[in-house]
Amino acid sequence: MLVGTIPFGLVAGVASIASGLTATQGMALSMLSFSGIAQLIVCQLVAANSPVPVAILAGSVVSLRFVMYSAAVSPHVAHLDRRTRAIIAFLMVDQSFAMTTRHFSAPGDTTHREWHTLGACATFYVSWQIAVGAGIALGAQVPSNWSLDFAVVLTFIALLVPAVRTRADLGAAIVASAIALVAAGLPYRLALVAASVCGIAAGMSIEARHKR
Amino acid sequence: MNTWAVIVGVAIVTFALRASFILFANPHRFPHRFRQALLLVPPAVLAAIVAPGLAMPAGALDLTLANPRWIAGIVAIAVAARWRNPLAPIAAGMPALWLLQWAMG
Repeated sequence: MLVGTIPFGLVAGVASIASGLTATQGMALSMLSFSGIAQLIVCQLVAANSPVPVAILAGSVVSLRFVMYSAAVSPHVAHLDRRTRAIIAFLMVDQSFAMTTRHFSAPGDTTHREWHTLGACATFYVSWQIAVGAGIALGAQVPSNWSLDFAVVLTFIALLVPAVRTRADLGAAIVASAIALVAAGLPYRLALVAASVCGIAAGMSIEARHKR
Repeated sequence: MNTWAVIVGVAIVTFALRASFILFANPHRFPHRFRQALLLVPPAVLAAIVAPGLAMPAGALDLTLANPRWIAGIVAIAVAARWRNPLAPIAAGMPALWLLQWAMG
């Protein structure tokens, strides 16, 4: 799990320097938002001189999946105090979501389980920041013919494929891909918004038809 | 300074989205359709990110043999479907891309 994020973190660090952020800004973005894809989208839009609200909107749309993770995790942590829940929420990413639900649904001793989860998530956070910091330090020195940015797409393939379990999931993924390509000319990465909404709508209509 | 506004804004929104149910709401009280839509968010959003990364590396649709990325991407998707190890698509996709780039000169 950890190893796969190292190239991704490197790419996020390199991208922040390449798009004109200072080292401090790149590191702050990473430490505060702690989301590789949100960091990359923000870098792209800052580089393109997008208006501030548009950049924030695009960063938010790609983070919508956290709402789903949050809903899935919440019953397992409802008994914890607010501060612990806030920390668990802050540290949640795609990979730690998988770790969290596995930890909490495993049989056995249920006391102090949150500390195992917190430990795993904190380890992940520190590793991610080190990888991003290394990327920032390397800056533009990584040869472009290594195509390191492709590792980001591959990371998302590694998340996407297991997320497609039902016919509705598959429909959502196919429609979203098609719209993302067709609408790619839209400014400010709005294609991503349009594609996501159409994909979800397609998945829901497939589910509705299936039930009848 | 605008960059700092974006950084802080995105940080607040990503935390709010992560905290939504964990801190503020009970998912069992939401309508069925809404939970159904939430379940479809990951496949839709992730696919919308992956597709352009494979099919339009230079900003325009390119599904010819001159674009090695979609071919390496298909390899990675096949590998991901076969082996559930999250590292497998990266371990297969990067060498596939390098090999194709090398073969094309």
